[in-house]
Amino acid sequence: MGIKENCFKKSLWVFHLSAGSCNNCDIEILDLLTPRYDVERFGMKLVGSIRHADVLLVTGIVTKKTKARVLEVYEQAPKPIIVIAVGTCPCTGGIFTSGYNFAGPLDKVIPVDAYIPGCPPKPEAMLAGIVKLLSQPPKSGNPRTTSEAQP
Amino acid sequence: MNEKDNLMSIENYISDLKIRFPQITNVEVINVKRLMVHIPTSVLAQITGYWFNELNYRYIIVSAMDSKDGFELIYHYSDDSSGWIMSLNVMLAHNEPTVESMTPIVYGIEWIEREIMDILGIQFLNHPKPERFLLPENWPEGNYPYRRKIRKEDR
Amino acid sequence: MGKKTIVPIGPYHPLLEEPEFFKLYCDGETVVDMEWETGYNHRGIEKICESKTFEQVFYVVERICGICSTSHPFAYANAVESIGAVEIPVRAKLIRSIIGELERVHSHLLWVGLAGHFLGYNTVFMWAWKYREPVLDMFEIITGNRNSYAMFTIGGVRRDIDENKASQLIKVLEDVKIKTDLLVGAVMDDPVIHARLKGVGTLTAKDIHDFGAVGPTARASGVDIDVRRDDPYAAYDMVNWKVITVKEGDVFAKAEVRLLELYESISIINQCLQLLKKEKEGDIKAKVREIPAGIGIGHAEAPRGEVFHFVKSDGGNSPVRHKIRAPSYNCITTFRRSCIGGTISDAAIATAAVDPCYCCTERMIQVYDHNSGKRTMSAAELIKLSQQKTEELNKQFSAKDRS
Repeated sequence: MGIKENCFKKSLWVFHLSAGSCNNCDIEILDLLTPRYDVERFGMKLVGSIRHADVLLVTGIVTKKTKARVLEVYEQAPKPIIVIAVGTCPCTGGIFTSGYNFAGPLDKVIPVDAYIPGCPPKPEAMLAGIVKLLSQPPKSGNPRTTSEAQP
Repeated sequence: MNEKDNLMSIENYISDLKIRFPQITNVEVINVKRLMVHIPTSVLAQITGYWFNELNYRYIIVSAMDSKDGFELIYHYSDDSSGWIMSLNVMLAHNEPTVESMTPIVYGIEWIEREIMDILGIQFLNHPKPERFLLPENWPEGNYPYRRKIRKEDR
Repeated sequence: MGKKTIVPIGPYHPLLEEPEFFKLYCDGETVVDMEWETGYNHRGIEKICESKTFEQVFYVVERICGICSTSHPFAYANAVESIGAVEIPVRAKLIRSIIGELERVHSHLLWVGLAGHFLGYNTVFMWAWKYREPVLDMFEIITGNRNSYAMFTIGGVRRDIDENKASQLIKVLEDVKIKTDLLVGAVMDDPVIHARLKGVGTLTAKDIHDFGAVGPTARASGVDIDVRRDDPYAAYDMVNWKVITVKEGDVFAKAEVRLLELYESISIINQCLQLLKKEKEGDIKAKVREIPAGIGIGHAEAPRGEVFHFVKSDGGNSPVRHKIRAPSYNCITTFRRSCIGGTISDAAIATAAVDPCYCCTERMIQVYDHNSGKRTMSAAELIKLSQQKTEELNKQFSAKDRS
């Protein structure tokens, strides 16, 4: 196992970025921290700075004004980083695709590792998405798995 | 107050308003408890001052749209004691979309005027901060998303 | 006197969840001016609505804001139905009010939690959000989704509330009421919170009038307005309730208004459920053929204040112009008055007191600090400052107790 896989074995620190969302997904992400779901027992933690994060959660459509900022945040992130698109908006644009301020789905802006669709996805769905991502054999070409091929 | 009294008092109110501001072109009750007053731009500041300062109406918002005869600005105020929403309708010519800023009278109107500048390209004279508000920095000048692309006279 | 420093609130507020960007101009500890940058969250919803049919617009406006996801459809329904002069069935009116009030319960609980966090009372945050969960479960049972309920349609509602769901809802509300007592006790009787919040971020009735602020922000300054009472819609004129107003105008007053409104909301829902029992038979949706040409103006009282929708129809099947005003649009501007003159450590809670909703306002998100070289402070630090101040007060009080 390479060092890059090793990074994601234990406590994941999560940075949450709202690119232009309706708040629903953001509140549901926060909900994960509260007693009902309590992801902190798995070592997952929301951090206030991207420079400390292993995972970048993006919610909301990428608007033309945020596009540059999303790129900037991605650049500041320590690599390897897992990018997760939470909600229908970053996955496809959903209902906002025809808007004049829509800059494209998230994967046209930065590479995305996992998509959790739903409007909003239930907290359980978010957990399931993260578990799926971590338990699957890493794809080649993904920045976090460039070290060596997995058997 | 029942419906009938309500109608009576609104009729009194309308005639009183017309006497006070003879420049008013038209007053219509568009729906239950909704009044629309059509005025020329010259009395906009006066009526705004009268409603906002003297009658203590609550400022709600300004709706702007590109309609057939020009840019329509609709200033909405609410009379909370009766539940009526009073609107001032000002029509601006397509070729000269300028109007006096109401920010000196109603402080809260600053944001929406800047927003209308962005989306429709209407100029507000004497606005304290006529800068871009909503659209991204690199949005092309002169492209106003809420203007109709094709007008009748262009066809 | 030191030179002015600029403190950006933002890049990104870890707790307000939405991105926002304020620049505070500070002289030492005191805030002397503030500025905001907007447009990050602008999605062009008003334009999108013009390309949808009247029915479809409901699902667009629902996604303006995830927390007020009933208020926007509510105001839009009021606007469109006033154009068509649609009379909706009593059952639909009651169900609309129930959903609207249930939303207020979950939104106010959410706010209490966030405010607790800002002050360094993380227990309150965890409590309030824990007690909010059963309300969300109820939403899932009634509407099928925890947020974005898709309950409204022109002429009524899309799903019914039957006996079984009603009795479950009553049980949940009983529980929420007990928990509210607990939260009210925790906030109202705590001398530290009194000392921390009283006199902070005060808005006078004149400030409210100048900026057109609405909702709990206005009611906490003694301005007695509430759309539900002033211009009754849905079932609000069929039930007994009162508008909560407090005179002080500071952050504590805003908390008080929200907490007491929880009781009113619970009482409204219970009364509506009683009426719903009596009104057993009946449609939940009126038949609507088409929307004639005309102008419709509708407003509704969201948890944060009045939501305003202006719809113009030309007799076609989609709106020609749809203007939306969310309550935060007018409330956020009041920061100019509530923050200036206060200290930086009060800025976080003073801004949070309005319960600003940037998605509603269609505007803001994170910004990275471009004016490097100037001393800046991150949002996390800002919250920390706020929490430290509470801690100091806490120490003072416990010292007093001991002596």
